[in-house]
Order: sequence, then C-alpha cells, then structure tokens
Amino acid sequence: MLRRDFLKYVAIGSAALMLGCSAKTPNVTPTPTPTTTSTLSQYKSTFVLGYGKDHKLNGGKWGIGFFPKIHVLERLVEYDLKNDTYLPCLAKKWEVEQNGKVITFELAKGVKFSDGSDFDANAVKFTVDWLKLNHPLGSETFDSVEIIDPNTVTIHYKDDGFFNLAKMAEFHMSIMSPKSVEPEGNPKGKFVLPVGTGQFKVADYKESQYAIYEPNPYWYERFRIKPKFKRFVVNFIFDDDTRVMALESGQVNAISDYVHGGSAYTPRNLIPQLEKMGYEVFKRVIPLTWIIAFNYEREPFNDVRMREAVDLAIDRNEVVKIFDNQVLPARTLFIESAPGIKEAGVVYECDPEKAKELVDEVGFKGTVEMIVDKAQSDQILVAQLIQQKLKGIGINVKLDVLESGAYKQRRDSGKYDLRMYYIGGTDRRFYLRMYWRFYPGCKWCAYVSDKTGELCKKILKEFDEKKRKEYLIEFYKAIHEEHGVVPLYFDIMTVVASKNVVADGYHLFHYPNGIPFGEPLFYDVGVRT
Amino acid sequence: MKRYIAKRTLQAIPTLLGVSFLSFILLHLFPGDPAEMILTIISGSEPSYAEIQRFRRQMGFDKPLIVQYLHWLSNAVRGNFGTSWTEGKPVMDLIMQRFPASAELFFTTFAISLVFAAVLGILSAIYKDRAIDHFCRIFSLLGISIPSFWLGLVLIWIFSVKLHLLPAFGYGNGDLKHLILPVVTWSFSFMAIKTRFVRSCLLEALSQDYIVTARAKGLRERIIVLRHALRNALIPIVTYFSLSIHHLIIGSIMVEVVFSWPGLGSLLVESVFKRDFPVVQALVFLSGALFIVVNLIVDLLYAVIDPRIRYGD
Repeated sequence: MLRRDFLKYVAIGSAALMLGCSAKTPNVTPTPTPTTTSTLSQYKSTFVLGYGKDHKLNGGKWGIGFFPKIHVLERLVEYDLKNDTYLPCLAKKWEVEQNGKVITFELAKGVKFSDGSDFDANAVKFTVDWLKLNHPLGSETFDSVEIIDPNTVTIHYKDDGFFNLAKMAEFHMSIMSPKSVEPEGNPKGKFVLPVGTGQFKVADYKESQYAIYEPNPYWYERFRIKPKFKRFVVNFIFDDDTRVMALESGQVNAISDYVHGGSAYTPRNLIPQLEKMGYEVFKRVIPLTWIIAFNYEREPFNDVRMREAVDLAIDRNEVVKIFDNQVLPARTLFIESAPGIKEAGVVYECDPEKAKELVDEVGFKGTVEMIVDKAQSDQILVAQLIQQKLKGIGINVKLDVLESGAYKQRRDSGKYDLRMYYIGGTDRRFYLRMYWRFYPGCKWCAYVSDKTGELCKKILKEFDEKKRKEYLIEFYKAIHEEHGVVPLYFDIMTVVASKNVVADGYHLFHYPNGIPFGEPLFYDVGVRT
Repeated sequence: MKRYIAKRTLQAIPTLLGVSFLSFILLHLFPGDPAEMILTIISGSEPSYAEIQRFRRQMGFDKPLIVQYLHWLSNAVRGNFGTSWTEGKPVMDLIMQRFPASAELFFTTFAISLVFAAVLGILSAIYKDRAIDHFCRIFSLLGISIPSFWLGLVLIWIFSVKLHLLPAFGYGNGDLKHLILPVVTWSFSFMAIKTRFVRSCLLEALSQDYIVTARAKGLRERIIVLRHALRNALIPIVTYFSLSIHHLIIGSIMVEVVFSWPGLGSLLVESVFKRDFPVVQALVFLSGALFIVVNLIVDLLYAVIDPRIRYGD
C-alpha cells in the first residue's frame, strides 16, 4: 500500500470514528467558543447590516448613539440579569464604601484603545468628567473622580446606594478615550469620533446614510479570536419594509432591531415568512414589557377597582397574536429570568366576567381617552384590541392616535386616561428603568404610590442581593395589588440573517467571556464567500 | 419693465416678512413655555423653575415678542438660524449637508416630469378621446391615486428583490443607479396631475376662435398646436409647474423615507418629531422664501411667454 493510500484510509477511518462517537454523545451542551481557526479567505471581506436608525457618531444631545456605545466602547462593569450580578469588564474588581457613595475601581491591565493607546485611570476620569458636563445622567450621578494610580480610580457619587454600581453598566456610562474630543482630553472639548476599547473602530460615517467599522485588533487579540470580516458596514434603512426587502435583494447580509429595543425593529409579522424563506432568525426575549399605563391621579383610574377591571379584561394571548405570536404574553411584570419574578409568583390573569362586575360595582358609565403615538404603528393595533376588550366590560374607550410631538404634549399635560408605555429595556437598563418608571418624582414615571415608591427606593439602595430580591418580590406584589400598570407583552430583540451568514445565537447575545448581552453583537459573524 | 420688476420685488417683501414671522412664531405657538421646552430637550430632564428663569433671560425670551422676532430675522437673513437643539450643530450646516441629495432628487424628478407631462398632455389633447388619450388619462389617474410609499415598495420588490437590477435604498454617493427608483416613484405622482393640467389647458386653447382661424388659413396642425395653442396655454402651465419649487426644500417625505434618501424632507420629519424648532423654523422659512422668489421670477417670465404682457411700459 502506498503511503498516500494509507493516509487516505486513516483519514476516512478517523472521520467515521469521530462521526460515530459524536452520534452516540448524549445531549452534551458544548461550551460555546468563538471560531478561532477561521481564515478570512472563507469569508467575504465585508459584512453589511441593515439598521433602522442613524446611530449618531459625531455627538449630539446625548453624545453618540446606542449602537456604537455597545460596539465601539466598553463599560467598567456588565450586568448579568439572570443572576442579578455585576461582572467585571474594564474594571477587574471594585470596592464599595459609604454604601455606594464612593466606589473604587481597579482597572484591567493590558487593555488598549483601538488607536493603540493604553486604557487607564485617566480615560475613566476623562469619561466621568465629560459625562458630568455633557450628559444628564452623568450630571445627576457623578460628584467627582480621582485617580489613585494608573490602574485605580475612585468615583464619588452624589447619592449613595446600589444604583450607582448599576448605572455603571448602562449604555451612557461607556468609557471612551480622551482622544475622542478636541482638544484631546478636554471634557469641554468638541466631540470628534468615539475611540474605545470595544470590538470595532469607526472607519467612516455619513450622517443618515451609513457607518463603516473595522475590527479593533486589540480587542480581538484580548479575547483570542479572529474577525471574519475586514469591514462592517451598517446601512441606515429607516423604513421597516424596505429594510426587509434590502435583505431579500442581497444588498445587506442581515438586519437587526434597534439595540435599545422597542422601535425600528423587523416587523414581527414578517418573521415567520422570513424563516420559511430560509433566513435565519435569532431572537432574544428582553426584559422590556409593554404595558398599559393609567392616569391614576384622576377619575376613573384613581380607583384601583377600575385599574383591576382593565387588567382582568385583557387577554394577553390575543395581544401577541397581533405580532404573529413572535412576542410573549406578559403574565408577569417582567420576563421569568428577571430577578425575583419567579419567586414572587405573581401572575396577571384574564377574567372579563370579574372585570365587568368591578366596573358595575364602581358604577362607571362614561368614556375614557386613550392616547397612542402614531409613530408606533403596532401600538395602534394593540390599542384597538384594548378598546374592543374594554368595551366588552362596559368601558368605552376613545382612541386618540397622535403625532409624536402631540402625543408627548398630551402625556406631559396629563390630559389622558390610558396610554401604551414600556417598562424595563435591554438587560443593562433593568434598574435604570425601574428608577425612571417607578421612582417617586421621575418625569417618565409609569406608576408611583407611597408603597411602591418606597420599595423602589429600597431596591435601588440595597447592595445585598438577597435583600434586594426580597424588596423586588414585595414590589412586584404591590404593583399587582394596586394594579399600577397592566403588563401586555414582552418584547424581543431579533437579528435576521441571510443563508450565507455564519452566526450563532450564543455569540450574537454573549460577550466572548460569556457575559450575556441584551443587544446583538456582531464580532463573530462572517459572510461565506 | 424695470418699474414692474421693482414694484413686484417691493410687493414680495411684506409676503416674505409674513412668512418669516410665521416661521418664527412656530416656537411660541406650540403649547408650553419655549424656555422650558428647550431646556427639557437639551438636558433630557425636567428643569427647575430657577433654571427656566435663568435660561429665559439668557435666550431673551423675557423681551417683547417683536424684539425677539427682529433679532431672529436679522440673524436669519444672514443665514444664521441658530443651533439645532438635538444635534448641537448650526442649523445651516445640517441643511447644507442634506441639500445636495434633495436637489439631485428634486431637479431630476422635475426635469423628467416636465418632459413627460408636457409630451403626454399634448398628445392627450391632440388625440382627445382616442386610445392615446385614454392611456394618458388612466396613467394620470393612477399616478394621482397610487400612494408614493406603496409604489416605491412595489418598485423595490420588482427591481431589487426579484430582478436584482437596482439598489433598494440609499444615496450611494452619487451613483446614478440609486437615483432611479426614487425618481421614478416620485415622478409618477409628480407628473400625473401635471399631465392632466397640460391637457386641459391645451384643450381650452384649442377651442378658441383664433385656432379656428388658423385652421381656416390652412396652417399645419403641428404649427397650430405648438406655436398657437401651446404658447397661449403656457402661462397657467408655467405657473403651475413653478408652484412645485417648494419641494426642493420640503422634498418628498414619503419617497425619502421609503428609499432612505438623506434629503431635507426626512430632516424636516425628524426635526418635527424631535421638536427641534430651529431646524423646523429654518426649513419653513427657506421653503416660503424660495416659493416667493420663484413666483416673482415666473411673473417676470410672463412677459417673455406672452408678448402682449408689457406690464404698463
């Protein structure tokens, strides 16, 4: 036998053996690791994504958009919703003093910005100072920042509490290089382009048209993986249908929902069709719950019985049918993996008979006004369903579908009875939205009572995970007892990819070190040649 | 003629001032305190009473409205419309960034529509109640009835998804391929009503006594239509076409949204949604001013089109 034949048989035999072994392996979940053996020749040099919003890269009111905050920058800490813990990212560890009024972060060593400069305490100080001057969340959060040594920084917050740590995982608290502004390092300077330690660096940006990113070699080296493209083009395609057709035409390789959640998403009704057509759909349920919010300070919804009646009248299974069952019915305040939800055991039921009895008991006979934002076309359909369901229990609803500006005006002036709203967000926003929606005195509140307000305060103060969970459970129960809001459905985050896109659901929603992300990530995506 | 030009120019000034005042007053007509509204948008949070008072003084909102207007106007005539509340950039920079795309889309659509509307309208009038007239009328009716966004999506489906011939979206940095679908979509509705207008104007002219005389003289039909009837029908046609000029600033919002075309129409929509009043004020003012200027030019063109008009010289 020739040596070549021998090697051929050995190779065939080994392959057969491996196949046989793998077939027998009983349901072992392999530890997902990004592909490290791939070569660029297998993949196209460019990956093109269709995205529904222009994620600003050159400043603006709140700095840059959410997309570059996730893909270009990193944060000191990251949040794991399932375990309700904060995990190291740019900070290796941290020490909390004065119940969170002071937090000292020990920074990871050897991390570089995409321009090759070192990440250090100076960059953290610059970011905190910049946020204090330029960002509402920064100005209300930070008091001062001091550099202890090149790898240690102490942040003094305006208030104490666990919320300070929670905020550090928030989009807006992403760390950027002092070179992001001109003159370099001046927090009052002009914002030029974000320079970060994250997956990508900005190569080009045309407002309202596209952004082009390139892999940040230092980030890929840090996680020991190889990028599968040289350029990552994000095309801004504002119309939902056009975005889907751009995917079908092959002009883009994938389309993704707005990373913030809740808007500019792939129409849910098209997802089953796209799946049938062979497109791969990656979904992740996020703790963003669409709700009915009441004007609970005026009649008739200042009466808890009326709020309960609305709650009981809604069949959530019918609500999700509007979205072709792609979203999940919200029978709890947040998704199951949110902290304390399972333990609270609070379930929102549908019982129209009981709802009718409650309305009769109150003796309500009038009409209520529900305002809907025209820009959220899906919400108009949901509002129409709500109108129909409430009519069934004796509440007439007058729907006012308003242009966004007029909607905000009506909302802010309090001239409405019902409105559609959302609580929660992507994972990292869980506690921030708890603050924005349920904390007493907040502009964007969904519901506040003495009891829920107090509990919200306690939740955001408490560092101890166990105690915090207890408060959360109490909070969920109180919101349910008071029928403060009516949860309708849980939103999802989707990425729809063409057949030639190499991607997996794990890496699209996890950082290479295993930290779960609510927002889709594209560092391990490739397009087959 | 010179006196007429001077008179018309002077007449345009009060209209221009009216437009500028309406643009300026937009901010004050919107419910709520402008100072509070601006601060809320800029800071993203609810400002305190003291902050509002301080900001009111700083912005000059405590001064009489007429003083504020004159200050705004003096800046506006120098091209300074202030800074965008949401972008933090000069409004004029934002407008100039989007203007090339808007101009490209508008002038191409305008030129194509002009040619097609004129040709179809003339053919329709000449061959009244014959097959070609029926075709033109059905074409116009479809153009008027079909919404631009729907037509745009159908064209994307045919030419991008099915035939892979043209891009589905985007400006493409001057690549003409990107211009085709938005122009076709917009032109379809743009030319439809104009085709009908050319037809009706020409039909009216063709029914005049001087046309009967021309025919009795034995002139050729081509000369009768083009030299006698069309020239007399031109005044309403030119006026009507000129009224479209405001689209240069306002754009076709639906077409820009469907094709992700980075023009001024989409800027206007975004600014309205974000309540970015300086941008809205500037676009409304510029659109109105352009409209007035073009009307003035058209008025002066009448003398060229119709030699009988001599404006009292």
